[in-house]
Amino acid sequence: MNFLRGVMGGQAAGPQPTGAETIQKLCDRVASSTLLEDRRDAVRALKSLSKKYRMEVGTQAMDHLVTILQTDRSDSEILGYSLDTLYNIICNDEEEEQDESEDENTQKQTDDLCALFTEKFLQDPERITLLLTLLEEFDFHVRWPAVKLLTALLKSQGAQVQGIILVSPMGVSRLMDLLADSREVIRNDGLLLLQQLTRGNAAIQKIVAFENAFERLLDIITEEGSSDGGIVVEDCLLLLLNLLKNNSSNQNFFKEGSYIQRMKPWFEVGDDNSGWSAQKVTNLHLMLQLVRVMVSPVNSPGATASCQKCMFQCGLLQQLCTILMATGVPADILTETINTVSEVIRGSQINQDYFASVNAPSSPPRPAIVVLLMSMVNERQPFVLRCAVLYCFQCFLYKNQKGQGEIVATLLPSTIDANSISAGQLLCGGLFSADSLSNWCAAVALAHALQDNLTQKEQLLRVQLATSLGKPPVSLLQQCTNILSQGDKIVRRGSKVQTRVGLLMLLCTWISNCPIAVTHFLHNQDNVPFLTAQISENLGEDERLVQGLCALLLGICIYHNDNSLENYTKEKLKQLIEKRIGKENFVEKLGFITKHELYSRAALKPQPVFPSPEQMLFDHEFTKLVKDLEGVITKAVHKSTEEDKKEEEVKKTLEQHDNIVTRYKELIREQDAQIQELKEQVAALSSQHEQMQATVAQQLSQIQQHKDQYNILKLKLGKESPSQGDGSQQNGLQTEELSQLREELDELRKQHAVLQTQLAERDALITTLQSSSQTTESPAGGSDNTELLQELEALRSQVQSQSSEISHLKTERQELLTRAEAEPSDTAPPSASAELESRLAAQTSETEKMKRSVAELEQQLAASTSTAAILQTEKEKLQSEVQESKKEQDDLLMLLADQDQKIHSLKKRLKDLGETVEDEDDLDTKDQTSDDDDEEEDEDDK
Amino acid sequence: MAYAYLFKYIIIGDTGVGKSCLLLQFTDKRFQPVHDLTIGVEFGARMITIDGKQIKLQIWDTAGQESFRSITRSYYRGAAGALLVYDITRRDTFNHLTTWLEDARQHSNSNMVIMLIGNKSDLESRREVKKEEGEAFAREHGLIFMETSAKTASNVEEAFINTAKEIYEKIQEGVFDINNEANGIKIGPQHPTTNSTLSSSQGGHQAGGGCC
Ligand SMILES: Nc1nc2c(ncn2[C@@H]2O[C@H](COP(=O)(O)OP(=O)(O)O)[C@@H](O)[C@H]2O)c(=O)[nH]1
Ligand SMILES: [Mg+2]
Repeated sequence: MNFLRGVMGGQAAGPQPTGAETIQKLCDRVASSTLLEDRRDAVRALKSLSKKYRMEVGTQAMDHLVTILQTDRSDSEILGYSLDTLYNIICNDEEEEQDESEDENTQKQTDDLCALFTEKFLQDPERITLLLTLLEEFDFHVRWPAVKLLTALLKSQGAQVQGIILVSPMGVSRLMDLLADSREVIRNDGLLLLQQLTRGNAAIQKIVAFENAFERLLDIITEEGSSDGGIVVEDCLLLLLNLLKNNSSNQNFFKEGSYIQRMKPWFEVGDDNSGWSAQKVTNLHLMLQLVRVMVSPVNSPGATASCQKCMFQCGLLQQLCTILMATGVPADILTETINTVSEVIRGSQINQDYFASVNAPSSPPRPAIVVLLMSMVNERQPFVLRCAVLYCFQCFLYKNQKGQGEIVATLLPSTIDANSISAGQLLCGGLFSADSLSNWCAAVALAHALQDNLTQKEQLLRVQLATSLGKPPVSLLQQCTNILSQGDKIVRRGSKVQTRVGLLMLLCTWISNCPIAVTHFLHNQDNVPFLTAQISENLGEDERLVQGLCALLLGICIYHNDNSLENYTKEKLKQLIEKRIGKENFVEKLGFITKHELYSRAALKPQPVFPSPEQMLFDHEFTKLVKDLEGVITKAVHKSTEEDKKEEEVKKTLEQHDNIVTRYKELIREQDAQIQELKEQVAALSSQHEQMQATVAQQLSQIQQHKDQYNILKLKLGKESPSQGDGSQQNGLQTEELSQLREELDELRKQHAVLQTQLAERDALITTLQSSSQTTESPAGGSDNTELLQELEALRSQVQSQSSEISHLKTERQELLTRAEAEPSDTAPPSASAELESRLAAQTSETEKMKRSVAELEQQLAASTSTAAILQTEKEKLQSEVQESKKEQDDLLMLLADQDQKIHSLKKRLKDLGETVEDEDDLDTKDQTSDDDDEEEDEDDK
Repeated sequence: MAYAYLFKYIIIGDTGVGKSCLLLQFTDKRFQPVHDLTIGVEFGARMITIDGKQIKLQIWDTAGQESFRSITRSYYRGAAGALLVYDITRRDTFNHLTTWLEDARQHSNSNMVIMLIGNKSDLESRREVKKEEGEAFAREHGLIFMETSAKTASNVEEAFINTAKEIYEKIQEGVFDINNEANGIKIGPQHPTTNSTLSSSQGGHQAGGGCC
């Protein structure tokens, strides 16, 4: 550390090493030391010298520092020092700050060093890739300086670094990850990096957007409190602007991603005017610019239109209009809000209609349009605000015939409303006020109410103005020319040229394409002499534009002349030009308009923006009119009478042609209507077709369902058939079994009776025996169970055969069903709807039929199930009766056995008593097998 | 419009095979025989329905020229689906499929669904690549395959929708990590998520959807 002290402390004795020498030593150590700690110390020393000896460290150490980045990847400390040093070399921000107070030379030197070392660093493009890799390092001491270094490089050599990052597949993706870093410093510096990265490079902008930048940035803005947030919000907004400006693909993505909706809450600033910090103003300004980027008049009309629609539907426009009418909004925010509303409504009928319906929350409520126009013609309002209002009004009327009609109507005698201030009144007031800016704005605004609208041009001719008391009213058109003809003598605050340019633009717009207005204009005997005088005079530089506009006005009087005034036919006006002005002179004066230095600037875009009020001379729409007319008027003036006559003829034939064309147009229109109708029919039919196909599909699936149900039923029935004997039969054929059972029962009853008689007989016998007189017959009443079982068996087999017959029938029916279904499934997509319809009808009825049959089947099933249930219970009852009878019979048999026993014992006693009775053995046997014998005997009886 | 899922697609393949036309046919239902060469990347979007669910497709149409390859690579990782297109009337575009596929496999996430598309099926008379060859290639590399015509719209819907179905199935099977947006899949604002409390606390800004 000794030599370090030499450099830094400077107390060492002897000749001090120069900075360059020290740095060389440090570099050697960085390059050759095998100990990491040594290298680390050396790099740290280089870092501390890098500001003071920027030049030396930059030239001598850069390569060594880069090598460290490659080789010492495992030590984040040395990586951090190295990156910091490189950053200091390329961009010394402390120096930059100091420089503000220092002279320009030093600043320039710093810039030069920055460019020099950036170039040196970029000699190997791989170094950018290396930095991208280091960005993945999570360690703060690596990631943060890497971010700063890359930002500095991008700032200095944007295009080249962008190119390298663009072709590394994960490059942009890695940089996007910075936004997700939980350490705010890194996230915020990441934002600055992305700003530099996306500047002017559409391909990178798209990738950044693809990497979900919109989502993340909008989230950060929300998290940070939207417009109330700090500089981070501002940085996010700047990045969003970079991504969207002039990038139609990203704009489309932004719209399709429903991010416009997420802008709406930004503007919920309400009436609360407590806090309008400078940061908030900046943030809101950028937010408004973002809205404007999406609906800019330079975007493709389709894209703008869909964004405008979206902004209305999500309530963004409404929110902006609330700010427009709120109090306490800073003037520049209000101005930008007006400009934004302008572009959100421009050319969009729904939005324009909504705008027309907005009222200011005053009492009585006034239309927003009126309130805004009041500002436009108010001298005390800031110039930019007045321009914004004019723009808003223009955008409101752009392609809005309805709005144009409403504005003009406020001036017409029949519709005028004397009780409240109207837009028309304000415009007239502005037109003739003593403030030239108001004159100009009102004239241009009124011209926009007439743009491409013949009806309103003619309507406005009806407007009469009350002048001083006792004098007759004068037409609006006349009043305009009256003021013009006062020339330089008018009294105005501001520029008199401005007033006259405004009025001339209004007149040109008004009478162009409107022969009636031309006639009105020419009807005043003073107008043409005034114009020719103006054009022919040799006036100063200032008046040249006015001369040009006068020439244009006179030219329109020729070009759109229908020759209805004998003194001012085309021909006569042309002769007048030739005599009084000279054709060449006229054309030259006409050319003054487009040659004016401010003309092309206005032609660029619709918004009226002027560096100063005096430069407010041209209106954008008017420049279009000039472009359309300059050529044709020049031609018209140059044409000879002969040519004119020829042209007249040509015109006539053209008119004839026109007539034919008109007729054809009519025809085409009719056919168009027919086509439209047919298209609608086709659409209706195809939707019907679709519907029907859906129905078919539905029905097919229904049929399938029925089929499935049917199969299930069949299966159930099939399963049950063989188990009929088990006692859970479910078909109607049970009745037979039932009657069988009844018969059985009857039989049993009969047997019972027989047995009873036998019993009686035996009783009698017993009595006889008891009276010991004679022998009795052996008991004969036996059970007929065997026979019963046999009968049952027979019945079962009968049932079996019947059920198989049933299933056979079912199969047949199934076949029928399948055949019925086969038809609909065969149906290929029908070519004609009619065919489809008829087939569909057939299918529907068939399906209906099948449904019915299925329903019937189901009913039958239900009926049979219930019958089965009834029969089942009945059967059970009968069975239990049978059981009981059997039991009774058993009892009887028991009794019989008892009695036999008794008989036996009595016989025995009789024997004992010496009576002769039957064989004892015989009796015994009989005793044991009495049942069987009984049965046998019964059988025999039958 | 509210959607249940959002899928990001890219369309890749040699220049002139009809990528831009396929996108236009799918999003606008029209065919534009002559139009500009795609410079860089263009964006298109459309809503489809799968399994009764609204699914938003965001599609990036890339430029096929060699010089734009490296830019195209930036789009692989964030895409859930890729349409790899060749022209059935140009064998060279079929021969280049391997290179495209290698590129895609190398730079995309492993779950990206790739649909192989043989386009211009309306030009049967000029066919140079048999349908069977396309099928074989797809089988060999585990891709789904279809022949389409951006001109007649034949199979165009199906190509985009079947790709979405495949992705949807993968989601159902749990293959995709749907909470990681880097995979090119996003759950819609109305979709019930596991951490619904979180999404509802910050969900105010998403509720306004529905106009575009
Ligand atoms: N006949 C036919 N031509 C097509 C079809 N798809 C695209 N084309 C034509 O192929 C050319 C290239 O199409 P394009 O979409 O620009 O290709 P990309 O470079 O892949 O975007 C254009 O001239 C299209 O008109 C198709 O399906 N059938
Ligand atoms: Mg293309």
